[in-house]
Amino acid sequence: MVGEVSHFGLKGLVDAFRPPFEWEFFVIQIEEIGWQSLPLIFAAGLALGIVLSMHTRGTLVQFGAEAMIPTLQSASFFNELGPLVTGLLVAGRVGAGIGAGIANMRVTEQIDAIESLSVDAFKMLVVTRIVACILILPMLTLFMDFASLAGGFFSEYLVSHISLQLYLDRAFRTVEWANFIPPTLKTSVFGFIIGTVSSFFGYTTNEGSEGVQRAATNSVVLSSLLIILADVILVKTIFFLFPRDAL
Amino acid sequence: MSDPAAVEFEHVFKAFGNRKILDNVSFKVNVGEALCILGRSGTGKSVTLKLMIGLLKPDSGRVCIDSADIAHSNEEELSRVRRHMGFLFQSAALFDSFTLGDNLALPLRRLDKSKSRSEIERAVDEALERVGLDLDKAKMPSELSGGMRKRAGLARALVLHPTLLLVDEPSSGLDRITASEIDDLLLKVKKKYGATLVIVTHDVRGARRVADHIAVLDRGCLIGFGTATELEKSDHEIVRRLVTES
Repeated sequence: MVGEVSHFGLKGLVDAFRPPFEWEFFVIQIEEIGWQSLPLIFAAGLALGIVLSMHTRGTLVQFGAEAMIPTLQSASFFNELGPLVTGLLVAGRVGAGIGAGIANMRVTEQIDAIESLSVDAFKMLVVTRIVACILILPMLTLFMDFASLAGGFFSEYLVSHISLQLYLDRAFRTVEWANFIPPTLKTSVFGFIIGTVSSFFGYTTNEGSEGVQRAATNSVVLSSLLIILADVILVKTIFFLFPRDAL
Repeated sequence: MSDPAAVEFEHVFKAFGNRKILDNVSFKVNVGEALCILGRSGTGKSVTLKLMIGLLKPDSGRVCIDSADIAHSNEEELSRVRRHMGFLFQSAALFDSFTLGDNLALPLRRLDKSKSRSEIERAVDEALERVGLDLDKAKMPSELSGGMRKRAGLARALVLHPTLLLVDEPSSGLDRITASEIDDLLLKVKKKYGATLVIVTHDVRGARRVADHIAVLDRGCLIGFGTATELEKSDHEIVRRLVTES
């Protein structure tokens, strides 16, 4: 199956550069995958920011280092928590939707109907979703990062009445482009995984309504697993390419 | 001289893995005629339709539409042939994220690039009016009843004014009256527009009303082909039973 999924994903990438381009359906996917995920990403980022701030305060106060809370918050989210949690949340929300949606189209002969119009259903349904996931994930990660900072500031403000300017100054003091851009861009790989895996299970199903359910479940499970595994490899690669990040 | 064939199957074989679906099937449908394909479930009826529109390729044999062998056509030729074909799927297969109007506009936008936006709108309105759904253009497929979905599927299949209409189980899941209304629409398409119809059905009564010829498939083999009256006298028991039941 690994070979089939890989071939499916590679075909998706190659077809993305082959006209005709399905702009109309691509825009629909951007809206469904990106815009409609924003409330979830924002709420999760805000909540995680508050929780992380509360946890770190308890520890750092013991060492008199509570001034480091914003720095720790930004480093944690920009480097790892933001990208990974965004990837997993999108795998849950979007992966299940893509898997079930395409599988349902297969079961109800909508894909046959598209092909009977001489329209390349793979390009229309799969390529648009894969490309949308690749492009949208970094943007959603940015929202997650900044929502978490907002949550962290809110939590800190309630305890220490820190000003927003000071909080942001401390949060961004140690952040450089090199340790912000690569972790954010690595989520494009997560997007590729989500788009490919979910579309694969949906597109290749042939088992009626049970197949739809299975496609949704498999999409989430395998996407999440692959995201975590890919994260290990990507973090190691980033440390290799940008050695200062590893410090 | 023989009548021109709209559809011709010549020694078609098709299997999925070890499972034989069609076994040396040959028949011909003349232009302007209606052929109903009868048979028990899983005998290859829907596969026959999908071969006709090029969604499946035969393992061997020829599938000719208007003399063009679509089994060996490239995408461009296939697209040209499909421009004159309509397909009503068993479940209607309406795109559930589109309104009814957009469902009908899609084939026009994709297969008839010469039409302007207003011409497409007009064609959609006409097609919906033909099946009595002109007031439901803005509705989503989920808001339609089973019969309305079938009629909407038929409207989409007709929107390009096809010369060949393929219909998969038009009466499945419908009550007798609604099924009869769909049959009326099919008859109207045949008579008014001169379209060739190939209909897969279990509804013998409907088949006898609409069809000029009936083909009977059993376990992938064509075991009967002729008019309803001819098939009533067939030596094959399954053919006789299928054609005479109602």
